[in-house]
Amino acid sequence: MIFLTVGTQFPFDRLVKAVDDLVAAGVIKDEVFAQIGDEAYQPRNFEAVASLDKKAFDERIHEASALISHAGMGTITMALDTGKPLLAMPRRRQYGEVVNDHQVAIARKFEQLGHLLVAYSSEELADKVELLKRFQPSPRRVQPEAVVRRIEEFLEALSVKSGS
Amino acid sequence: MVTDMGSDLRIALVASSGGHLSQLLKLSGAWQGRDVFYVVTTDVVKSKLGEGKRVYVVGECNRQHPLRVVKSLWNCLAAIRRERPTVVLSTGAAIGCLCCFLGWLFGAKVVWVDSITNVEHMSLSGRMVRRIADLCIVQWPELTGTYPGTEYMGNII
Repeated sequence: MIFLTVGTQFPFDRLVKAVDDLVAAGVIKDEVFAQIGDEAYQPRNFEAVASLDKKAFDERIHEASALISHAGMGTITMALDTGKPLLAMPRRRQYGEVVNDHQVAIARKFEQLGHLLVAYSSEELADKVELLKRFQPSPRRVQPEAVVRRIEEFLEALSVKSGS
Repeated sequence: MVTDMGSDLRIALVASSGGHLSQLLKLSGAWQGRDVFYVVTTDVVKSKLGEGKRVYVVGECNRQHPLRVVKSLWNCLAAIRRERPTVVLSTGAAIGCLCCFLGWLFGAKVVWVDSITNVEHMSLSGRMVRRIADLCIVQWPELTGTYPGTEYMGNII
């Protein structure tokens, strides 16, 4: 099963419709299940819900063989944490899908690092879906400890001041 | 603040849904054992935080929906007035910006961690909060050159 999710804040009709077309055309043969947000385009060729609670969402992720989503950092992080192959299409400001083009920038960075596949437009989606079947994401290794320590020290210094 | 003499810190942790929350949670080690409360946008986010936490749900808020901003602002103000945090810490987005300014007006210290998605520029919220932040962290080294006063020490996600 391919799990299509676009976050819960805004719909992302361009992506949902593109996937719908690919299922209709037989390019995507796997079963698709989607979380598409409120007041969104309703796909004709697969099951979709407006939103899922955390438990149901986690279950769908677990069941999925691959993910298709916007290039939101929440979804990207979850894909990397669970090791699921992800094909992301960035939301674009020009279509009113987001307030700026930060999703394009982060998608490009993470694509270069081999963490995910990116379709920069609906037209690119068909080819990338083909690649998704065999895509093995490179795991992301980060060390948040340095930032944690900096904040810890900052709080500690304040704490000493207010406690004295 | 005189009323906080002898007492410890109270920290407001603020993040909207998705990546902002994921990044906030990756930093949890920094405030372990401290008195914290959360300000988030939706009930779904609230459920991700688990049981037994003080959580204020203030609604989604962004520039495309000015009315929602007013509603969120009001809810943030209620939370900040009630809790009177000594520190406001946020990973964004708009509600983080609102809470940082509100907390600052009430005398709180401000910590901003700009999201990793801001590769070429700091977020609009981050650029505003930077001016009042006591600690301002970015996640791409190039940004420290563009925005004086910001610090880089690696990615958190």
